[in-house]
Amino acid sequence: MVNRFLDHLEEWLITFLIGAATIIVFVAVVHRYATGFFTGGIQDALLRINLSWAQELTIFMFVWMAKFGAAYGVRTGIHVGVDVLINALKPALRAKFIVFGLLGGALFTGIIGAFGAHFVWELMHTEQVSADLEAPKWLVYSCIPLGSFLMCYRFLQVCWSFIKTGHLPHADHGHVEGLDKEAEFEWAAMSSELHPKDSDITPADVTKTGGRK
Amino acid sequence: MSGIVIFAVLILLMLTGMPVSISLGLTVLVFLFTMTEVPLESVALKLFSGIEKFEIMAIPFFILAGTFLTHGGVAKRMIRFATALVGHWHGGLAIAGVVACALFAAVSGSSPATVVAIGSIILPAMVKQGYPTKFGTGVIATSGALGILIPPSIVMVIYAVSTNSSIGRLFIAGVIPGILLALTLMFFTWAVAKKRGYPRMKKASGREVWTAFRESIWGLLLIVVVIGGIYSGIFTPTEAAAMSAAYAFFVSVYVYKDLSLKQVPKALLDSANLSAMILYIITNAVLFSFLLTSEQIPQSLAAWINEMGLEPWMFLVVVNVLLLIAGNFMEPSSILLITAPILFPVAMKLGIDPIHLGIIMTVNMEIGMITPPVGLNLYVASGISKLGLTETTKACAPWILVMIGFLILITYVPAISLWLPEVLMGPA
Repeated sequence: MVNRFLDHLEEWLITFLIGAATIIVFVAVVHRYATGFFTGGIQDALLRINLSWAQELTIFMFVWMAKFGAAYGVRTGIHVGVDVLINALKPALRAKFIVFGLLGGALFTGIIGAFGAHFVWELMHTEQVSADLEAPKWLVYSCIPLGSFLMCYRFLQVCWSFIKTGHLPHADHGHVEGLDKEAEFEWAAMSSELHPKDSDITPADVTKTGGRK
Repeated sequence: MSGIVIFAVLILLMLTGMPVSISLGLTVLVFLFTMTEVPLESVALKLFSGIEKFEIMAIPFFILAGTFLTHGGVAKRMIRFATALVGHWHGGLAIAGVVACALFAAVSGSSPATVVAIGSIILPAMVKQGYPTKFGTGVIATSGALGILIPPSIVMVIYAVSTNSSIGRLFIAGVIPGILLALTLMFFTWAVAKKRGYPRMKKASGREVWTAFRESIWGLLLIVVVIGGIYSGIFTPTEAAAMSAAYAFFVSVYVYKDLSLKQVPKALLDSANLSAMILYIITNAVLFSFLLTSEQIPQSLAAWINEMGLEPWMFLVVVNVLLLIAGNFMEPSSILLITAPILFPVAMKLGIDPIHLGIIMTVNMEIGMITPPVGLNLYVASGISKLGLTETTKACAPWILVMIGFLILITYVPAISLWLPEVLMGPA
């Protein structure tokens, strides 16, 4: 129950952050050029909108996205490692290495989370704010402990389910989404002369001579 | 000395199959706890400040643009245009595949995305037309590598960020090598096709070429937005990336209507997932290079190479061999992030141009994409062609030789990379 809530929150957050950041930069660029383009009343109105904070906000949003996205990535198995060597091992030994790797991930993110928490705790006792947005720095930086602890939790979760079921989440880079749909290329929409014709090379030729006639 | 220990620990951790980012981070922690006197708090700060640069944000934006384009029917129209252009040559469809990859590479910053977008449409068509699956797979997997050489390129952004080079200059420098490689691949495809008598298509009329061009114009315009925008100074590279993401969204959803609004959140989530993975490697690589610098490793390596009297050309041989080996085991962003901070200062001392080095490293990464066991293009291509990984590897083997020849050319003729940026943007 808590897990499902966390899953959704994580997905929702990073989807929102990347989408919103794109819109912000887009609007800021359009605004910059629109200000130079229009004259008179419209220009005055545009000049009154100050978007200098846009760049800083985008950076913060992306750093947050990176921290929580990294945790999400543990769940989808996107963090790649050099698995050539261990894949050549016997399954039982390979499993030990995988558990070692996952626990290493949990250890690292756990330590970083603790560092981050200490760091944020000290910042809370200062009045430091960010340059453009003037947001309290401890709030901005709190993504380090939050994201790292979440990532640590994800590593432990994946490790636990691997020990129990022997199953790892795996981002299949070879999987091509929408392939079957895409493969139906509408050659019909092209002139008939451009269709890939069923050439006079038969499948037998292909296998026997590599397509030579 | 400590340099050898640092790299020994790193390689040992990586061989356990642990994610590269985690291996980098743990190596740093091991040293911080045992050997150096760097304050621990500064580590946490580095984790934030490491990616707190507006330039790095070009990466998620380019990934997002790539996701929209891959699903958004842009590739389909580019293939139609390329087929109309060169379909009547020997091996027409295969050559059209190379051209389409080059065109798509000019709007997308990633190699695997290029292979997916172009290969998933053109490979089945090639097989239907009578090409051996192996030939088609080899051509497409190799041409897909153009994705990171022809700008925009995520690999180039990573190089530029980790060496403080100009992204715009690097992009412009990639144009001529990219076109040259595309022509080289087209030539070899044509030669093989002619020798083996692969099918040709009927020549398209001028009207058909025009129609195909008009249909693909929305995708082709993106090339103008990115390269033109950066070159003319209208956009910074990051802004150009954001504009191309917004533009790609608009074209896919409203113009070509191949992507429904309902699919957009999924595209955003997938892009965020991939971006976060790369950004996480970057943060930890920043930590790692911080450790290297505080241990003075790049400096002492540079001094050592100076003492040995290594000529620049010998150094470049070493760089190429090192990167080709690394390319067999790791994916490009990790290799660049680990090696650039060490190789870059040495290269600078030897008087090698930073932009030229960037192009050399990018071409190396391209070869890494099609060499087993960690060539991403191989995985993607075998996913499309349904050939096993071994078969796909064999299909690419002859092309790897072509690519290595091209690498030697790029390495020892700097003008190919440096001429255009110097003409357009003045001397560095």
